[in-house]
Amino acid sequence: MTAPLVALEGAAIGFGRRPLLSGISMAVGPGEFLAVVGPNGGGKTTLLRTLLGALPLVAGRLVRPRPLRVGYVPQRDHVDAIWPFTVGEVTLMGCVPSLGPLRPPRAPQREAARHALARVGIEDLAGRWYGELSGGQRQRTLIARALAAEPELLAVDEPTNGMDPGAELSTMDLLRDLQRGGGPAIVMVSHRIEAVANYARTLAFVDKDAALFRVGPLDEMLRPEALAALYRRPVTVREEGGRRVIVPGNGETGEAAPSTGVAAPSTGVAAPSSDPLPSPPRSGGEGQGEGAGR
Amino acid sequence: MTSALQGFLDAREIWEIPLAASVVAGALLGALGVYVVLRRTVFVSAALTQLSTLGLVATLLVEERFHIETEHPSEQLAVAMACSVLGALVLGAFRPRRLPAEATVGASWVVASSLVVLGASRLVHAAHDLGGLVFGNAVAVPASDLAVIAVVAALATAVHLLFAKELAFVSFDPETAASLGMRVPLWDAVLFATLGLAIPPAARALGALPVFAFLTLPASGALLLKVGFRPAFNVAAGIGVVAAAGGYVLSWVWELPTGATMVALAAVLVVPGALYRLARG
Repeated sequence: MTAPLVALEGAAIGFGRRPLLSGISMAVGPGEFLAVVGPNGGGKTTLLRTLLGALPLVAGRLVRPRPLRVGYVPQRDHVDAIWPFTVGEVTLMGCVPSLGPLRPPRAPQREAARHALARVGIEDLAGRWYGELSGGQRQRTLIARALAAEPELLAVDEPTNGMDPGAELSTMDLLRDLQRGGGPAIVMVSHRIEAVANYARTLAFVDKDAALFRVGPLDEMLRPEALAALYRRPVTVREEGGRRVIVPGNGETGEAAPSTGVAAPSTGVAAPSSDPLPSPPRSGGEGQGEGAGR
Repeated sequence: MTSALQGFLDAREIWEIPLAASVVAGALLGALGVYVVLRRTVFVSAALTQLSTLGLVATLLVEERFHIETEHPSEQLAVAMACSVLGALVLGAFRPRRLPAEATVGASWVVASSLVVLGASRLVHAAHDLGGLVFGNAVAVPASDLAVIAVVAALATAVHLLFAKELAFVSFDPETAASLGMRVPLWDAVLFATLGLAIPPAARALGALPVFAFLTLPASGALLLKVGFRPAFNVAAGIGVVAAAGGYVLSWVWELPTGATMVALAAVLVVPGALYRLARG
């Protein structure tokens, strides 16, 4: 068995001494595509940042068998677009942590940044202002910045937030393509299970309000009984046009909502009180979804 | 006008040190203002100016109460700088979770302002010095103050050149920087320490209003021109120099208040950037 890149053992995550969620054991190995799913405010980003070592554990152990090159893609809205940086300058920032102080970026770092932009398909935007890009282009820039560090582990926080369906599929396709063929392991946080159900290999469900942490292979986690723990209602998984569609039911009746394959009722993945993750089921041929199924 | 200008040139011995101090302070504050504006912390500079003044008042009170006579105000400046740096570290580097940052900045400004008024009301002999110390005295800047401003400017420039990429990264995207293992609070502290050091000597030379203006207007003018991040520092410093020097000369020639003239000229220099943005739509 391959040694994990990073693992949590019996961990409690939170801020200060206050645990949000306990009993977390998980590992991320090379080539993994792990999606962390749960409602907004459920502890997903806290788990991700704890896994990266950016937040201290409340209890338990963070295991990193060897030094790890990490790339991090924050939520797009967390990056202030008022800063007058070009796409090339933003991408080059990915090399800053590994360079350390007093060492300016040189040719190898610039080449890594150029290569990263090419990998995400926006090398022609290198001279454009970051603030003038579309949401999808900004997302690709932030992914390129993470790739510029040539990471073994790519941590991505809600990359499809606020995107239209086409841009969402395009972003997810990009992540899948990056991860294939010896690319970095990916840990992705999303509040929309539909965004990841056709891409991830492993799913983790996180909801601090329900004291829920569960992790397992995708097929196992997409079983109705596993999904019901996250949605707190019956859930059906359907295949439509080669893509998985998650259809939460109507609460007490246990009856799944009808899936039209075009625009399903908005239902949530998450805790009843918040947010949820309805994602309109898509027909198989929609937008850039062709060939996107696993 | 010509005779006024000639009078100005003939009085070189009077204005050369104050003008040099104004120019250095204008360049320094203009450049630092790029971070102040982009980090959306313009009111931090107002709060720091008040904290610096509080340091001055506290020193004057202690000197009066303990009958310490000081010929030279270096002790007052040192305490003002300590207060300002401490305030900068707290207000700039500390990111409160439970309150908006504006609340902390506003509270600091209003509390410091009140304490300045209360402290000044208890001063007996030094009260008449306070106006110049707080609001600047552009015709009476001692050479020692120019030296302090020059040293602070050199130090700040060195820090910002040597650690440019770290300061830019943690300011632009602190979340990612922290996730990648960078010590964001440390770099924030470095950045705001340069600001905290710069404000008190600049406030003594220019006054509180020009300091606030120079930390805001030149950077705004430069950023509106969309010249890019690094060039913005040079353009903002240039605007600061032109506003400080031009404002000084114009105030002399037209017999206007020096600080206010500098501020007005700095505001005029924002116009090209605003017009450029308007033209670009």
